Amino acid sequence: MATTEVSGSGALAVGGRELPTGRRLDRERFQWGSVSLLLPALALLALLFLIPVGYAFYLGLTNLRLIGPTSLHWHFTGLSNVRELGRDALFPKSVALTAIFVGGSVLGTVVVGLAAAMLIRTATSVVRVLAGGIVIVAFMMPAVSAGMTWYATSTAGGTLATLFGTSQSDFLHSQPLLIVTMANTWSQTGFAMLVFAAALRTIPAEVIEAATLENASAVQRFRMVVLPLLRPTIVTVVLLVTLLSLANFGLVYIMTQGGPNNATNILPVYSYQQAFSFNNLAYGALIGDVMVIIATILAAGYVWAARRRA
Amino acid sequence: MLAKSGLSRLTRVALAAITVATLVVGCGGSSSSKSGNSKTISVAYGSTYVFDSVALTNKWWNQVAHQFEAQNPGIKVKLVPIPGSYNDIVTKLSLLYRNPSTAPDVAEIPTGQIGLWASSGYFASLNKDLASSSWWQKFPAVVKSEGTFGGTTYAVDQGENDTAIYYNKDMFRKAGLPVPWKPKNWNDILTAARKIKSSVPGVTPLWLNAGSGSGANGLLQGVNNFIVGSSTPQIEDGSKWVVDSSGIRAGLAFLKQVELGGLNASESQLFSPNAVTTPLTLFAHNKLAIAIGSNYFTGNWTKPISAPYWPQAPKTMGITPLPTENGGGIASTLGGWDYAISAHSGNPSAAWKLINIMENKTNSIDAANWAGWVTPNKDYWTAPAFTTFAPQQLLFAQILPHATLTPSSSNYSIWVQGMGNATGQLVSNPSASVTSAVNTLSSYVSNQLGGGAIKKLP
Repeated sequence: MATTEVSGSGALAVGGRELPTGRRLDRERFQWGSVSLLLPALALLALLFLIPVGYAFYLGLTNLRLIGPTSLHWHFTGLSNVRELGRDALFPKSVALTAIFVGGSVLGTVVVGLAAAMLIRTATSVVRVLAGGIVIVAFMMPAVSAGMTWYATSTAGGTLATLFGTSQSDFLHSQPLLIVTMANTWSQTGFAMLVFAAALRTIPAEVIEAATLENASAVQRFRMVVLPLLRPTIVTVVLLVTLLSLANFGLVYIMTQGGPNNATNILPVYSYQQAFSFNNLAYGALIGDVMVIIATILAAGYVWAARRRA
Repeated sequence: MLAKSGLSRLTRVALAAITVATLVVGCGGSSSSKSGNSKTISVAYGSTYVFDSVALTNKWWNQVAHQFEAQNPGIKVKLVPIPGSYNDIVTKLSLLYRNPSTAPDVAEIPTGQIGLWASSGYFASLNKDLASSSWWQKFPAVVKSEGTFGGTTYAVDQGENDTAIYYNKDMFRKAGLPVPWKPKNWNDILTAARKIKSSVPGVTPLWLNAGSGSGANGLLQGVNNFIVGSSTPQIEDGSKWVVDSSGIRAGLAFLKQVELGGLNASESQLFSPNAVTTPLTLFAHNKLAIAIGSNYFTGNWTKPISAPYWPQAPKTMGITPLPTENGGGIASTLGGWDYAISAHSGNPSAAWKLINIMENKTNSIDAANWAGWVTPNKDYWTAPAFTTFAPQQLLFAQILPHATLTPSSSNYSIWVQGMGNATGQLVSNPSASVTSAVNTLSSYVSNQLGGGAIKKLP
């Protein structure tokens, strides 16, 4: 077996042979020549992301309106909109509603998606393909269709009313946030299930078998073997579902338009309402900026968590 | 017509995305002006929302363009159709007007936007042209006033929607109520609805729009009719928004009585974005007895429109004006579509000629019939082409001079949202007090616009 030691002179000795000192091969290196190869991607990133987002941040600090005297002659107004944001009682409510909506969706999607993936693992290939196909349809369904489907399901005369109440029960308007969160969870669970199912297939059967031989119960096998091995996948799913939910304007807007009485007025809906219903483009852009900041912080947190655990 | 705000949400969502992208790329665009005497005039209009069908939309605008081009050789009309619902049209026009080079010479615009766009400097004054116009003299004063601000008229009406009470005569007879029915005050409406509830099972006694789901249309065809029929009809007072008044309380109290009595449609139906057109189907299926509804209902039941086709409508339906709070007057809101000429038009005289053609007898009546409006020209109200198209066209025309305009200034949409929340609160919880609903409106508007922007009237 080769031995490695660091000699007193600082030279690296491998198997009794000294290697030249200088560049460390175990560290990330940067070659200036690679910049030219990265330029097209950088240009696209700047054109399609950095410049629009930067411009949106700028717009958030102006008095631009969709219609009205300042629709043409608008200008920079400093922190005026930010102060307005601090005064706006609906904004913190909207942030809280967004947190519940996103948190609930993530929790529901991961739990149901993982449970479905575990169940389908033992199914025959025909059942697996069929079930996979059906859930992917739910995921691929446009927000408009998913929203209309859930609208019909959760209002009077719908499936939920028939199953859990009277024909006149209107769950969408009595429990609006719960229903839109369920709808969002429903539309994203298929995606989570497919990812988890793929990840589960990569867990070697020997590992599970070894745990079984050690008399580990099914719960113990799941908690102490499967779950730790799935952790990177869970982090990825959580990150993606968080970002998809945070930006899920269409589904909520179609089902409730933010109502009744702002009960589902999550940030993307409130941003749209300010920009296009109240013509206040700058304030709508500022709320959009807040969403970008929240998404960036969450994404950074997840990436950090994924790296730490890896 | 005014009623289809919920039809195309996908378009609305897509347009929102496109709008944001367009703004991001194109804000602060150039301000190149057009040539002085352009040989083409552009006219922008709603192609899927305003008229009752796309085929009728195309027919009407093509007939107008052909008439213009025949009378004005050498000048072409460029049609700029705008698909989508109310919000899509408003957003697209707003974007077109942002740049003088893209502003249409003539546009079909909703009444509710005139004030805001005129104050933005988008429109040319029509005062000089109107002074010698014969048809303008035939418009009722309230219709003239909808496009006039500070003595300058910026827009002229294309057609109007107003409100009355629709009732099913068969159900009234079954309940022992008089036919024809002429309620003298709001209490008479409640009494009739209660009688229907006890005598005609399985039907919704009264449809009164409420909640924020159907936006400004829901209020225009709902509770706002009661506010304008009260002793204090003001919604806007100078630059302030009225958030509490005896009129607002009277309108909300009426809704509360309707809800407490279990007389209104279900929460699911009222909160739907398509709520305002739901009574058309309910009536046609004999599931509704009374509705506070717009004039376009009768046209929608005709064969040419078929939304839905209901041949028994003329025989079954009765229509009567909505009385004012304590009787003695007619209560109705008013809203429609107008024509305006861009302040940057390359050929304003040709644009004015086009408006003259659109306001002629045939075109005005065709537009009114095919879009579910009352033609604004009093001379055409008794024309057989108008009166025979649908039942009670003349009655709605006679209501028009009594109708009250809805504000068209900036921030009305905020008052609408607040009022939608307040009325929705009473639907969800009929035992809530009128004062708490008023507080909902008041706190919403003051949160959005500041305490200085609201006003309380006695």
